[in-house]
Amino acid sequence: MSATTKIAVHSLADLKNTADDALPNYLHSLKFKQIHTQTDVRLAIGYTAVAISGALFYFDWKFGWDVSKPYTTPAVIAYFLLNTAFTYWLWFVEAGVVYEGEGKTGKVRIASSTKKHIPIYECDVTFTPAPYNSNPTQTLHIRTPFTRWFTADGYFIAKPFQQWLASEIPIVGEADPSNVVEEIGRGSTAGGEKAFNVTGDNALDILEQLKTSGAKVTAGSGSGRRRK
Amino acid sequence: MLGLTNMQPRQLATQVLNFALVLSTAFMLWKGLSVATDSPSPIVVVLSGSMEPAFQRGDLLLLWNRGSDTQIGEIVVYNVKGKDIPIVHRVIRRFGGGKSPLRLLTKGDNNNADDTELYAVGQPFLNRKEDVVGSVVGYIPFVGYVTILLSEYPWLKQVMLGMMGLMVVLQRE
Repeated sequence: MSATTKIAVHSLADLKNTADDALPNYLHSLKFKQIHTQTDVRLAIGYTAVAISGALFYFDWKFGWDVSKPYTTPAVIAYFLLNTAFTYWLWFVEAGVVYEGEGKTGKVRIASSTKKHIPIYECDVTFTPAPYNSNPTQTLHIRTPFTRWFTADGYFIAKPFQQWLASEIPIVGEADPSNVVEEIGRGSTAGGEKAFNVTGDNALDILEQLKTSGAKVTAGSGSGRRRK
Repeated sequence: MLGLTNMQPRQLATQVLNFALVLSTAFMLWKGLSVATDSPSPIVVVLSGSMEPAFQRGDLLLLWNRGSDTQIGEIVVYNVKGKDIPIVHRVIRRFGGGKSPLRLLTKGDNNNADDTELYAVGQPFLNRKEDVVGSVVGYIPFVGYVTILLSEYPWLKQVMLGMMGLMVVLQRE
């Protein structure tokens, strides 16, 4: 929703919330259908607790302490049990899940997080590729700096965000092949995991390798196959 | 900071729920304390100077209402039938007890006369079971002054509630 809204680039919460909100938008454009079960359970627990508290409030206000006294203890106990269940659900069952959905290529569940004051988007992805009986559930931890899809003045750019997801999560890539890009170690890929480890000793070797591989591409069929 | 208008229904429901949980948790904690102390109002604020120098205006009193054999010298909080402001005074006489209902006479330390004038018409004493809300077991000086301000300037309440609500609903940290 925030694709056109400007955010404060130094607010980690804004960065994360905008990215979180962009997830469903993108996945829904690939015909993924969101699964709301967990959110609905949490809302049900929460609103039940609030309803108990509201009922007790009304009862107490209407009839007074002497009448409501025998109901107060069970209501208080029930409320705090529900509250505990709510907190447990939020922290240990949902555990930061921002999207759970299902598409033609499989099921996906994404929990996002950030570390305090570090502008890196971290996602725990659990996915099951499409024929569920033959494919096991897999998990991935993917992370990338927010600078990948936020401009310096705080606008969200959807394309690199989509490319990141499509390239990192196989079933998303399968659903959206046009956004799969291969990491070729240039530009804003400050993630660094796939970059060459350049030190004084091997710099020349790497340079040689790059030269020969480049030569091969041009000398080969010339189709630019590696870039897709 | 994100607006309310462009939220998904579940997101909106979550924000509203967060706010409702803050209010209901506060209320239920209060009720839990009520149950534990067996008192309909386990915390009260001293509104008058009638118990000086023991309590000043604005002191916060913690009450306990279990153990109903109130002794002379205890400070009790009681409600007078027909008036809705609780009074904090010291017990100076007791009658009955045991099988017959315990009755108490109270007086403010700083007052010249006992409380018979304050009780409801035709009531010469307090009934321990019916009238007394609890005995004072502890106090925190001055903290309750906020509530005195709030009750003397009622619009402050609305301002506070409104600000709390807005903050909870609008922020998503």
